[in-house]
Amino acid sequence: MRPSRREFVKWVTASGIALSMSRLGAAESSGFPARATLPGRGGWNPAANGAGRIDGVAKVTGAKLYASDFRAADLPGWPSATSHAILVRAPDATHVYLGMDLVRLNGASKPSVVVTAEDLAKIGTRVPEFYATDLFCPIGKTPLYMGQPVALLIFEQFDAFDRARLALRDGTFVKFGEETGPVDLPSYGAFRFTRVAGPTPESPDVYSPIQAGWVTPGRIQNTALPVWSSYAKETAAPYGKAAVHGEQIRAELDPKNPALLVLDRTFETQSVDPMFLEPESGLGWYDRKDEGLELVLGVQGPYEATESIAFLLGKAPAPFKPARINTQFTYLGGGFGGRDHTSFVLYVALAAMFFPGKPVRLAHDRYQQFQGGIKRHPFKMRSQIGIDRATGKIRAFAADHVLDGGGMANFSANVAVVGATAAIGIYDIPKVDVTTVAVHSRGVTAGSMRGYGTLQTLTALEVLIDEAASALSLNPIEFRRRNALKSNGRTMMGNPYTVSVRTPEILDKLEMHPIWRQRAEEKARLQSGGILVGTGVACVTKDYGTGGDASLGRVEIGADGEISIDGDHVEMGNGIGTALANRVAIHLGGVADQVSVARVDTYDALGLVTSGDPYTMDQKTQDAAEKNPRWVPAISSATSASIGAHVGTHAAAEAARVIFRYGLWPAALELWRIPSTDPRTKDFAKARWKDGQLSLPGLTPLELPVLAATAHARNLVTGAIAHSFSRWGWSRARFQFGGEQYRAEIDALAVRKGGGKFAPLDRVSVLFPPTHNNQSGNVYTSMCGTLVRVEIERTTGALRIAKAYSVLECGQPLVPEIVRGQSQGGFAMGVGYALLENLPPYEGGPGNGQWNLGQYLVARGSDLPLHDLEIEMLPPLTPDEPPKGMAEVVMVPVVPAILNAIFDATGHRFQSLPVTQAMLKGAIA
Amino acid sequence: MTRLAITVNGRALAPTEVRDDLTMNDFLREHLGMTGTKFGCGAAQCLSCAVIIDNPDGTSYTSPTCVVSAISFDGKAIRTVEGHAKNGELTALQKAFVEHFAFQCGYCTAGFLNEAQVLLERLARKPVARDELEKTIAEALDGHICRCTGYVKYHEAVRDVVLADPKRYLA
Repeated sequence: MRPSRREFVKWVTASGIALSMSRLGAAESSGFPARATLPGRGGWNPAANGAGRIDGVAKVTGAKLYASDFRAADLPGWPSATSHAILVRAPDATHVYLGMDLVRLNGASKPSVVVTAEDLAKIGTRVPEFYATDLFCPIGKTPLYMGQPVALLIFEQFDAFDRARLALRDGTFVKFGEETGPVDLPSYGAFRFTRVAGPTPESPDVYSPIQAGWVTPGRIQNTALPVWSSYAKETAAPYGKAAVHGEQIRAELDPKNPALLVLDRTFETQSVDPMFLEPESGLGWYDRKDEGLELVLGVQGPYEATESIAFLLGKAPAPFKPARINTQFTYLGGGFGGRDHTSFVLYVALAAMFFPGKPVRLAHDRYQQFQGGIKRHPFKMRSQIGIDRATGKIRAFAADHVLDGGGMANFSANVAVVGATAAIGIYDIPKVDVTTVAVHSRGVTAGSMRGYGTLQTLTALEVLIDEAASALSLNPIEFRRRNALKSNGRTMMGNPYTVSVRTPEILDKLEMHPIWRQRAEEKARLQSGGILVGTGVACVTKDYGTGGDASLGRVEIGADGEISIDGDHVEMGNGIGTALANRVAIHLGGVADQVSVARVDTYDALGLVTSGDPYTMDQKTQDAAEKNPRWVPAISSATSASIGAHVGTHAAAEAARVIFRYGLWPAALELWRIPSTDPRTKDFAKARWKDGQLSLPGLTPLELPVLAATAHARNLVTGAIAHSFSRWGWSRARFQFGGEQYRAEIDALAVRKGGGKFAPLDRVSVLFPPTHNNQSGNVYTSMCGTLVRVEIERTTGALRIAKAYSVLECGQPLVPEIVRGQSQGGFAMGVGYALLENLPPYEGGPGNGQWNLGQYLVARGSDLPLHDLEIEMLPPLTPDEPPKGMAEVVMVPVVPAILNAIFDATGHRFQSLPVTQAMLKGAIA
Repeated sequence: MTRLAITVNGRALAPTEVRDDLTMNDFLREHLGMTGTKFGCGAAQCLSCAVIIDNPDGTSYTSPTCVVSAISFDGKAIRTVEGHAKNGELTALQKAFVEHFAFQCGYCTAGFLNEAQVLLERLARKPVARDELEKTIAEALDGHICRCTGYVKYHEAVRDVVLADPKRYLA
C-alpha cells in the first residue's frame, strides 16, 4: 500500500538511452586533485588525525565544489562558451495563462530560443510518473500551481541573459486572462493507521497495520477530503475494519468520562523553505554530432536524476532523443531534502536539448528558488488524547492530519505517512487512530524536508503532552517517563524498534540539567524587571531510513598503506566523506588518503542488475529475482542527511571489513609467524588498531604499511566493492573464501587481490529483508530531548532564548564534531521554524516570484544562545553499536520545547506556527 | 560600458570594459571564473557573496557583491576567498575554520571568512578587552546567514584565533 519513494523502473531499458554517471572533481585550477576530496598526504590535512573535515581545505580556499560553480570552460572536452537560460514560472494559478509579452526583451536582450509546452508536445517528452504533471503550462489553461513553469528562455550570451533577467524581474510579462479559480485535482494520498493493543504488553495486538496491512479510504466523489467513516459508500472491507476500530477509539475519548482527562486540540504549521544557500543550478550540453547529452548536476539522488531525464527524452524523435547521457555530479548535492527528486534537473536537460551544440546553464536566483523550490508541508492537525487520571497513563490517542502538498506531485503521500506514523512520539499508547491526507493545492510544491512530517506532528504532540501534564499537575518529565515506550514495546504500527530505545536516559538527563532544576528560581529572579521567564521541555524519537535504502562502497588499500574510498551517497554538508573515512578507519587502522562521494561509476565489477519496485514487490517476485546472483532490490538510493552515517557508510565499512579479514589479517598472521594450526588464527575479532598499528595481546604491534605491503606481496585481498540493501534490516549473504564461508550484511561483493583487477564473488546464499517489512512502521529510530529557557520582554514581546540544552543518542558517532554541528544547526533551524519562518499560502506567497530573504526571516546568530547552547551525546551502548541517523531528530524537539517555554513564561499556549513577536505581545497584553 | 580597473588578491587586472549594470558578483564569477565568491540571495541579505575591500590607509571592510555594480569597484583592491592562503599555506583563520568543523555545506564560508578576517585585522589595529570579545565577534558576523551550522563553531573558531594571540588582538 505504501506509495513508492522510487517509482521508477529501469527507464534505461525503456528509453533505449545509454546512461553513465560520474562524480565531477573540483576544477583543476583550484589545485585540488580531480578525483580526491582529500588534499592528500602532501598537504595540510587535519582530517588525517581526526581533526577537521576531509573537505575542509577545499571549502576555505574557494575550490569549485558546487553545481553553480561550473561553467563550460571548466569542463574538459566541452566548448568554452556558456549560454544561459531562464525558467519562467507562472505567478498566478487562478486565471487562464495567455502567454508571455516579451516586447521588453529587444535588441541585446532577446532570447535565442524560447521553449514552451507546445515545443514539448511536438517532441513527445514524457514526465516521470513521480511528478504527474505538465512540465510547462500550455497557453489557454490555468496553471496547476503557482510557480508552474511556462517557458524556458535561452540566451547565447551572458550579457543578453543578464539584461533579460533584470527586465523580467517583476513577472508582469506573464499574461493571464479569464478567472477560473484554482485547478481541482485529487489528493496525493490518504491513509488510516489504527492500532488496538492486546490486554497485556506480551499478548498480540487486536488490530495493527503490520498485521492487517495499510489501509486507505475509498475515493469519494465531490468531496475535498476523504470520508473516513466506516459506513461510507465505496468502503472496502480492510479499510472498514480499521475504521470500526478507529471509531471505537474515538468514542472512548469521551470528555464526559470522569476517569479520563481528555484533551481535544487543533494545531497548524506553516509552509517554509529549506533555504539551502546555493540556489539550484545545472549545466547541460547536447552535441548533435555524437548524440550525447552531457550534464553537470548537484542533487541528492544521482541515479534518480539521470533515470528521470532518460525517461523524459526516451520517446522523443531524433534529434531530440540523445543516444547517451553522461551526468557528472558535483561534490555538494544536499539541501535539507529540497534536492531530493527535484524537477529542476528536467529543465536543465531540456535547455540543453533545445539549444544543441551550446552548453547551457540554468540557475535559479533566490526569487526563483522561493518561487519554484520544494517546500515543507504545512499541516492542519486535530489531536485527541485520553489519560487515566488515577495512573497518569495515556489510554488512547486519535488525530486527523491534512497536509497541503502544493501543485506538483512529489513526496506528499510519503510525508503524510511518516508524519502520521510518528504521531505518538516516544509514548506507549495502547489505542491509536490517525488519519492523514495530503491534498493538492495551487501552492508551491511541497516535498521532502528535514523532519519529513514528524516535525509537524511531533510539535503538536509535545505541546499537547505538556498541556496534559499541566492539567494533571504532573511534572512534565515524570509524565513522559511514565508513558515512554520501552525497548521491545510496540509502536503504533504494531512492530517494535530493532535498535536501542534510550528514552529513560534522555529524560533523566533532562531532569537533572540545571536549566530544568533552576527553572523556578530563574522565573522569579527576572520577573520584577519586566521579563517573563519560561522553561520548556520536549522529547522525541525520529526514524531514519526509508525502508528501501541501498548502499555502495569501494575501498582499496595500496602497497604503501594508502587507503582510498568511493561511496555513492552525496555530501549534504553532513560530512559524509569524513564519516566514510572514519568508519573505514575502524577496520583498516588509518584515515583514508582519498575519499570520493557521490561516486556512481566505480562499481561495475559487481555487475548489479535490478527490477521491480522494492517498496511494492511481493515476496514471490523477490524470491524469483534473487536467484540471479547479480540481482538486488535497488542499486542506489537518494541521500538524506539522517541516513548518511547509517546507510551511506555501510557498504564501504563492509568492504573494509573484508579487506581486513582476508587481506590484512592473514598478512598479520604471517608477520607474527602464527601457523595455520594455531587457534589464534581465529582471533581476528580480538585484534585492535591503535595509532596505526594492529595489535594482539602478547605480540609486537604491526604498522599498517607493513601489513599492506605483505597483503600485496602475498596476493591477498587488497580491495573490495560491496553493495547492500535495507528494508528495515540489511541484506545478508554468504560468500566463499577458500575453505570458509564469509557472512556479512551485504548482498554483492567483488574483491581485488594484490595488484590485480576486481572480480565479482557469487553469493552462496542471500537473505534479502522480507517484502512484508513494507507494511512495518519504522524500526530504526533515535531519540533527542531539548530544554529551552526563554526570556520575554513584557512590554514589547521580544523573545530571547537565554539557554538551551539538547541531549541525543546516535549509536557510534562517526565524527562527533559533525554530530555536534548538526545538532547546533538543527537547533537554529528549529528556532527559525518556531519563531521566524513563514511563507503565506497561494497569492501572497512565494509562488508570486517576489520573495527573498528580505521578507523571509531565518535565524541569525543574534537569535541564538551561541554561548549557552549545550549539546550532549549519550555514549554508544557498546563500542560496536552501529551509527544511527541523527540529523533530523535533533531539530524536532527544539520547536515544541520553545512553545512549552513560552507557555511557562506567558500562560498562553500557542497552537500555530510561527509564534511571532507581535503574537507574543498580544498574548501578554 | 565603463572601463574597470581593479586589483584582485594583490594582482592588478588589465582594465576591461564592462556593462554599467553588471554586478560585481557576476564580474567575479562569470568574467573571471572566480566562483569562490558565492551567489546566495541577490539581495544583500545573506552575505555569502561578501568580499574584502582594502583601503589605501591599510584599513579594510567587507561589501556584498550581488547588488553592487562592478564599476563601483573601479580603482579598488579586493580580496576574495581564493586569496587568503599564500603559497598553499592557509591563514590561522582558515586553519581554525577547518579544525573547528566551522562549516558544513560550506556555501557561506567565503563570506564568513572574509568578515572574520576583516575583524581580526581591525582587532590587530584596535584591540578589545577580553570581556568584549564574544560580543564583538557576534556583532561582526551577525549579517551573515548560515543555514547548516547554527553559527556556534564559526564563532568558536574566530574566538580561538584571537585567544591564541592575545597580545595582538586583546587590550
